[in-house]
Amino acid sequence: MPGWVEVILRSIALLMILFFMTKGLGKKQLAQMSIFEYITGIVLGGIVAIHSFDTDQPFMHAVIALLLWFIIPFTIERLSLKSKRLRDFTQGKSTVVIQDGKIMEDNLKKEGYTTDDLLESLRQKDIFQYADVEFAVLEPTGSLSVLPKSENKPLTPKDMGLKVAPKKEPQTVIMDGKVLLEPLANLSLNTNWLEAELDKMNVSIENVFLAQADTDGQLTVDLYDDKIAVPSPSEKPLLLATMKKCQADLELFALGTENQQSKAMYEKNSQKLQQAIDKISPYLQ
Amino acid sequence: MTVGSNVKSCYASLKSIEANLKTLNERAQHNEAKKVFHETERIIKEIKSDLQQQVIFLSQEEPQYKQ
Repeated sequence: MPGWVEVILRSIALLMILFFMTKGLGKKQLAQMSIFEYITGIVLGGIVAIHSFDTDQPFMHAVIALLLWFIIPFTIERLSLKSKRLRDFTQGKSTVVIQDGKIMEDNLKKEGYTTDDLLESLRQKDIFQYADVEFAVLEPTGSLSVLPKSENKPLTPKDMGLKVAPKKEPQTVIMDGKVLLEPLANLSLNTNWLEAELDKMNVSIENVFLAQADTDGQLTVDLYDDKIAVPSPSEKPLLLATMKKCQADLELFALGTENQQSKAMYEKNSQKLQQAIDKISPYLQ
Repeated sequence: MTVGSNVKSCYASLKSIEANLKTLNERAQHNEAKKVFHETERIIKEIKSDLQQQVIFLSQEEPQYKQ
């Protein structure tokens, strides 16, 4: 067998093995890997690289080395799923670097983290003053997790005491002009509904590049032809407006009538409607 | 427009609100949203029945405008 044929065969075989091994080692980004996993990756690559073109080495040696470097990290990973202590050992523990707004200098020194590193990581989190931080942890992967003091945290609806409607994930129902049936079924809708909605907007399915429906079945579409203006969903705002109009009408009737009984009835119902509007308006926005 | 026809148009709007709420309720995926839509629909129904009485009452009050 000529040398170059062997190189081709070896490369293909090793590539296959490496492919399945990396699948087995699970999904982790390079940045999330522990130092151990990182080294394993490099060594696996090195073994494959050497044995691909070095035809003097027996092929079995490559397979044995690869298997060992696969099996040992794999077992350790599996075992560390079960045991917290092993996990702390192989993947490392997080270190507290700021607690109660005070920098823990000893911990910084232990991790070899300079003050400049700390300030840089804080800046990456948009914090330019250490005093804004209540608590910060250096993760085993080297990234810094920061809990700002509560007055520096972004405002949420909860802080404002606002009620917001719960929302589930929107579903993509048309992609590249083709209807996706499964997401439609997830919303318990069908193609008839989709066609009717598109008819209302006066567009054809072929012209739709992307269409998404939210949890309440409101459809937003993007067309291939960007010159055509697509109406945004108006059903819910319209409903809210109609409710408000009815409420105003009832109040007018109450002011206009001289019949005491009718007046009381109008007033009662206008109040009732107002309460209903207050309650439903988060859901109609 | 007479008072009677004003009230009648308001009654019609309520009817349309009720129908809209019903479709929203059918399509809503979240239980909480479903509950709110349903509850509102119930209130609208009550107001509607009150207003219906009023429509009848007014049509008796203003017989001259009846076709």
